[in-house]
Amino acid sequence: MDPTMLAADSVHSARMSRIEIRDLSKSFGDLAVLHQISLEIESGSFVSFIGPSGCGKTTLVRVIAGLQAATAGEVRVDGDSPEEARAHKRVAMVPQQPGLLPWRTVRANARLLLDINRAANPPDAAEPEALLREVGLGDFMDAYPHELSGGMLQRVSLVRALALNAPLLVMDEPFAALDEITRAEMRALLNGLVAGRGVTVLFVTHSIPEAVALSDRVIVSSPRPTTIVADLIVDLPRPRARDIDDEARFVDLCAQVRHALHGAMRP
Amino acid sequence: MSRRLVAPIFGMVTLLALWESFVRLFDVRRFILLAPSTAVRYLWRFRSDYLSAAWVTVQHAAIGLLLALSVALLIGSVLVSNRFLETAAQPVLTLIQVVPWVAYISSVVVWLGSGTAPALFMVTVVCLPAFIFAAVDGMRSVEPSTLELMASVNASRSEVLRRVRLPSAAPTLFTTLRFNLGLALAVAYYTEGANFSNKGIGAIGRRAAADNHADRLWAAIFAIAIVGVGGLQLLALLERTLLHWHAAQRTESV
Ligand SMILES: Nc1ncnc2c1ncn2[C@@H]1O[C@H](COP(=O)(O)OP(=O)(O)OP(=O)(O)O)[C@@H](O)[C@H]1O
Ligand SMILES: [Mg+2]
Repeated sequence: MDPTMLAADSVHSARMSRIEIRDLSKSFGDLAVLHQISLEIESGSFVSFIGPSGCGKTTLVRVIAGLQAATAGEVRVDGDSPEEARAHKRVAMVPQQPGLLPWRTVRANARLLLDINRAANPPDAAEPEALLREVGLGDFMDAYPHELSGGMLQRVSLVRALALNAPLLVMDEPFAALDEITRAEMRALLNGLVAGRGVTVLFVTHSIPEAVALSDRVIVSSPRPTTIVADLIVDLPRPRARDIDDEARFVDLCAQVRHALHGAMRP
Repeated sequence: MSRRLVAPIFGMVTLLALWESFVRLFDVRRFILLAPSTAVRYLWRFRSDYLSAAWVTVQHAAIGLLLALSVALLIGSVLVSNRFLETAAQPVLTLIQVVPWVAYISSVVVWLGSGTAPALFMVTVVCLPAFIFAAVDGMRSVEPSTLELMASVNASRSEVLRRVRLPSAAPTLFTTLRFNLGLALAVAYYTEGANFSNKGIGAIGRRAAADNHADRLWAAIFAIAIVGVGGLQLLALLERTLLHWHAAQRTESV
């Protein structure tokens, strides 16, 4: 019996994250980026954000992750402020660039977030090595980042975040720099990894199929100042097959997202 | 591998052979240029004197370098998080760099007396600016996304410094260390000569020059050269072990 599985099951309810956003606005000086956004995100759901470039998706997830203060409005992560959630390591980030430290091995890089601010580590932190094996990097534990491909680097970055066993996972275009084939692979891998872990995932992307294939919900935003123009439920069953792209419902949902996106861009 | 070993030896042997034949053919005055064979023979004859002198000089240079490096890391860590202080420090450090250290060495000797103190002080001060610039540059070279990742788990300032900024600065610091090694030896040699002590290769060289003793002077020059080459080899070895990840990155990008 895999001990990490057991731990994950027994604490599910405790390690899930509900997000409430009320009238959130954010400006940089005179530049209004987010405008009175209100949103509720269920624990354990996978939510994608899609919108025109520069509309403020990164800003939104950075505010939710407690990395940037809001100008007005309120954000609650499990009832706490984002700063509080961050201080307790309840938010795990997967940035666009994997940003592994070149002097650390794959194993040590996967441990990085556990090595920092140790006092806030959860008692049930996952075992990075087991996760590395799970993503197929079992033979590369002692390799250095320069010896890895882009997809492999991003898998380490994913493990680094998952190892925290944080209830909220924030991913800002994590696969944007990867080629099409690797992207499809990462998509399947991510679907498998978050299934059964009960984490809430906020996923920023520019790819409509990626958003639909991964999410329970796709949120489409307008150009700056950002408001939410569509909030679509993805009712595709899970677990999702690799060839889900061919299904009629998938194609239909993608079309809906595309129309919402185009509608938002040509008011 | 064999080229990396054979080529430098070939270069050195050629230089020494040309030098030796030049001195013999043209009968150069001993003090101006001594045949390497004569210098090496003298060095060998008084090897224990030169060895103990070299040990003193090595200590002056090495401890001075380490002091400079430690102080630079301390000051650098402060400057990297404070733009105002960094801008304030800039002219001071540049001043230390541009004013020739030989100009104020007599005052330092009068202040600190003879022996080890002025040598360590001079080496530390002269090597400090380059180390500070390297430390600040290196620590700043961290990707903003890496800093953001650290912030996402509420990393403390000292954790960021220790886990990310210092290792990031290591390659630049090593490059500067190599450059500063030659400087440190020069400063140590000169200060030993100028501070009325009779310790260190610099002291031997100074007295030999005053006495017009060519053999002793050129043996001192060879001794300091050997120390320098040895130091560089040691640094190369350290760099290969500690920064293997960086070397590998570099060769790949070439
Ligand atoms: N720290 C900041 N200071 C000033 N302006 C900022 C800052 N961060 C973001 N902005 C501005 O806010 C706007 C939204 O930026 P943001 O990065 O959130 O967009 P995005 O939707 O993530 O874009 P992309 O899809 O290209 O990643 C941009 O116009 C940007 O210039
Ligand atoms: Mg963005």
